[in-house]
Amino acid sequence: MHVKMSGDNVNHASNSKGISLPMTRVKMIMKSSPDVSSINQEALLITTKATELFVQYLALSSFNNGSGKDNKTLLYSDLANTVEGTETFQFLTDILPKKIFARDYLKLIEEHPIEEADN
Amino acid sequence: MEGDGSTTDASQLGMPGEYMTGSHYVLQSQDDDGDESLHDHEEGNGSKENFREQDIYLPIANVARIMKNAVPQTGKIAKDAKECVQECVSEFISFITSEASERCHQEKRKTINGEDILFAMSTLGFDMYVEPLKLYLQKFREAMKGEKGIGGISVTEGLGEELTDDSFANQLPAGIITADGQQQNVMVYTTSYQQIPGVQQIQFS
Repeated sequence: MHVKMSGDNVNHASNSKGISLPMTRVKMIMKSSPDVSSINQEALLITTKATELFVQYLALSSFNNGSGKDNKTLLYSDLANTVEGTETFQFLTDILPKKIFARDYLKLIEEHPIEEADN
Repeated sequence: MEGDGSTTDASQLGMPGEYMTGSHYVLQSQDDDGDESLHDHEEGNGSKENFREQDIYLPIANVARIMKNAVPQTGKIAKDAKECVQECVSEFISFITSEASERCHQEKRKTINGEDILFAMSTLGFDMYVEPLKLYLQKFREAMKGEKGIGGISVTEGLGEELTDDSFANQLPAGIITADGQQQNVMVYTTSYQQIPGVQQIQFS
């Protein structure tokens, strides 16, 4: 049951230590940051656990912030709104643009006409 | 968000970008079920000006499970919301890591340690995680110490620690020396068949 991988006995910890995210993958993401040379085991562990907490926090805040129409489903728009309205989540604004249907956008343009640049 | 690689769609429609004051939009397809369950952005996200290393994501099943457990039981989660959080997670990890890495470099160290991560969290507005994480780390350390004696990892690692003179003091029978006269790390049996703690799975080295 406990498979010992050389140099990576942290893996069995992810099953028995109450973490449900793969630490090797977390490590990959961490290492993809520029200038990161090495990461110690505790740092990896804390980051993985923190990531779990982050997911919970983001999901629950967004869910509670729900659109109201169907407040039993967490929607993309709930996430986008929560991110926009929460300072801690500002680092996510670039990857969470608000979505709009093309037809709605075109309608908006019609209603608020602006001078067009050259086509 | 479907990996269409578009920038703000004002430019695609030939509209000036000034219209979108404050927020920017991305076109959503009519049929936005988010059918694809694979979330490989191998071509790299074109939706940001800068090159992003975050093409690596955590498995969506794990992310979705955590989300599901976080919201009330009757709640559901839209597929594109799951994918979105999956991306946010990578962003979060990178965000924390680069801050921690910076501090590490400032202090002329090469290895990011737990303190660096905790410091980064506190700096970046996640200080509410610091205490729970410290507690968690403490429990983990204690658990790891306990496991070393049970053989959860190869005992040859722990050999130096576990085999103190005390372990052998009263329990070592006279006949431990093997037939060829060499004393080796063989299984030690006491006369009462009590296994000596910490010495259960000694391997020949």
